[in-house]
Amino acid sequence: MNRYATIFATFARACLVRDMTFRTNFILECVTSLGWMSMNLAFYLLVFTFTAEIGQGTGWTREPFFAFVATGLIINSIVQALFMPSAEELTEMVRTGGLDGVLVQPLDAQFLLSMHRIDFSAFANGLVGIGLLAWALKSIDRAPHFVVWLLYPLLILCGVAILYSLVIMLAAATIWMGRNQSLYDFWFYLTNFSRYPAEIYAGPWGSPLRALCTFVIPILLVVNVPARVIAQPLEGQGWGMIFAAVFAAVASLLISRIVFQLAISRYRSASS
Amino acid sequence: MHNSNRLGDAPLLANRQFAATSAPLIAVEGLAKEYRVYDKPEGLLASVSGLFRRTSRLVPALRGVNLTVGRGEFVALLGPNGAGKTTFLKLLSGIITPTRGTASVLGHVPWERADDFRRRFALVMGQRNQLWWDLPAAESFRLHKEIYRIETTRFERTRDELVDMLDVRKLLLQPVRELSLGERMKLELVAALLHEPEVLFLDEPTIGLDVVAQHTLHRFLSHVQTERQMTVVLTTHYMKDVAALCQRVVVITHGDILYDGSLDQIVDRFTTHKIVTLDLDHEPSQERMERFGFPCEIRGPQAILRIDRSRIADVLPEILRSETVRDISVEDVPLEEIVASLFRSEAEIHTRESE
Repeated sequence: MNRYATIFATFARACLVRDMTFRTNFILECVTSLGWMSMNLAFYLLVFTFTAEIGQGTGWTREPFFAFVATGLIINSIVQALFMPSAEELTEMVRTGGLDGVLVQPLDAQFLLSMHRIDFSAFANGLVGIGLLAWALKSIDRAPHFVVWLLYPLLILCGVAILYSLVIMLAAATIWMGRNQSLYDFWFYLTNFSRYPAEIYAGPWGSPLRALCTFVIPILLVVNVPARVIAQPLEGQGWGMIFAAVFAAVASLLISRIVFQLAISRYRSASS
Repeated sequence: MHNSNRLGDAPLLANRQFAATSAPLIAVEGLAKEYRVYDKPEGLLASVSGLFRRTSRLVPALRGVNLTVGRGEFVALLGPNGAGKTTFLKLLSGIITPTRGTASVLGHVPWERADDFRRRFALVMGQRNQLWWDLPAAESFRLHKEIYRIETTRFERTRDELVDMLDVRKLLLQPVRELSLGERMKLELVAALLHEPEVLFLDEPTIGLDVVAQHTLHRFLSHVQTERQMTVVLTTHYMKDVAALCQRVVVITHGDILYDGSLDQIVDRFTTHKIVTLDLDHEPSQERMERFGFPCEIRGPQAILRIDRSRIADVLPEILRSETVRDISVEDVPLEEIVASLFRSEAEIHTRESE
């Protein structure tokens, strides 16, 4: 385990050195993603000039909703920084045969392929997320219980684990298909569902969608569970959600591991 | 998954001990690999219908190869493009799984990808880049140290030794993307040898290199191989690589082994004639030179004859008597030519078979 930590640190160090070599590119990446995020936030502010609450009786008034958005920013920035660049590169490695070099190394291939590339600029959004969360919690004016302070980071990790499993399964699919350029698009469509409170999925179309995105692809548990825990009072049914999130995280990790192992055992390699 | 460690199945302890001492490092039996390829029809309409129904066929890349390699051997795999050389190396390094057959490398089934196996060999592909592209090689070496769990003092000793041998110390801190192909290849080799592998697979390591760089790599590889008693399997298209490095040559065409033996024997076995070059004092006529009974090529005052080896002792005195010869040389057919004709004749047999 210690060895994997050292290797991860080596990757992180190398990526940081590289990011700093192409400094302008790094700054531009930070600026674009911060810009995109601010536009989104402005849009939400605009929405709240028309309504006080998203969905009646859901509790998602302005400040709690911004705590929700902040939670999403934090989780997404972790995934974008740690796993997304590697997953994208995996599709390229399958196409060019670069995966060969990984498979001969005495190291867990999934570990190497999911975290060898880290995009530090993606952490910028996460930092803003933390700031936004602090502001929202201060405005809500209700100090969260200390249990919440323990649960929140755990549930953030669960959210990251669920998203990671999805990313790595999508990336593993490229090993089968030889090429999968729609990875990023597919990822975007999927995570889009996780960006809003689960309560908005109601009615004849919404409810089945909500069930699908909770039980089949547990994408709705990613942001909703930690956000609800931190932004709203913890009640009876909240605990059910928490267990569901933990269970979904463990299950997705296991399934993604199986899918990944199966995929690399089927690897065909590209021509030299 | 095949469990092909046949040596481990020996029933008697005595047998087992015998097997352990005389065991080949690489043992391959009936190794075959087929790829399923999908036909991509031409034309828009056909492409669209291909979305729903695709026709596929199995293409054999390797057809049941048998081979054993002992410790410390330096073996060259020769063959035309698409002969199955690289597929063979990929199977031996566990990158892909075979369709049939067994293999044991260092006592392991390669495609089970055991860490203990992967720690003991290295693969260098001339056309691929294993080092971090945007970073200095020193960073990649550091990562290598962690991945292969090389102890610090050993790591530093090996690295310094290799780096000095190839004279690349000044390149260590330069980003890899700024290096020339030759320089990069040297660093790739250093990286591959840092963990002191017992078996080294080289896939066209000298491809695209200039003569000086090729020569440097030859000297380096031959030195390291002898010093460490490393087992090396090399694929190449350059006869110079083979002549400089390998005692043993394996010719693969169409997924089959066509020849397995020493380089000299290739010449003995596959050629019937020698090449005799005569420098004359004037340009000879074609007819005059062909009267000796062998094909002849005239290049200015030079006549190049292909004379049967069995007849050379009779014919040469005759030529020297009747012609004014300024200089003469008798040579074997160049290896390139022999190997090329081997590839060709095999290809012809193959097309005839499939017709």
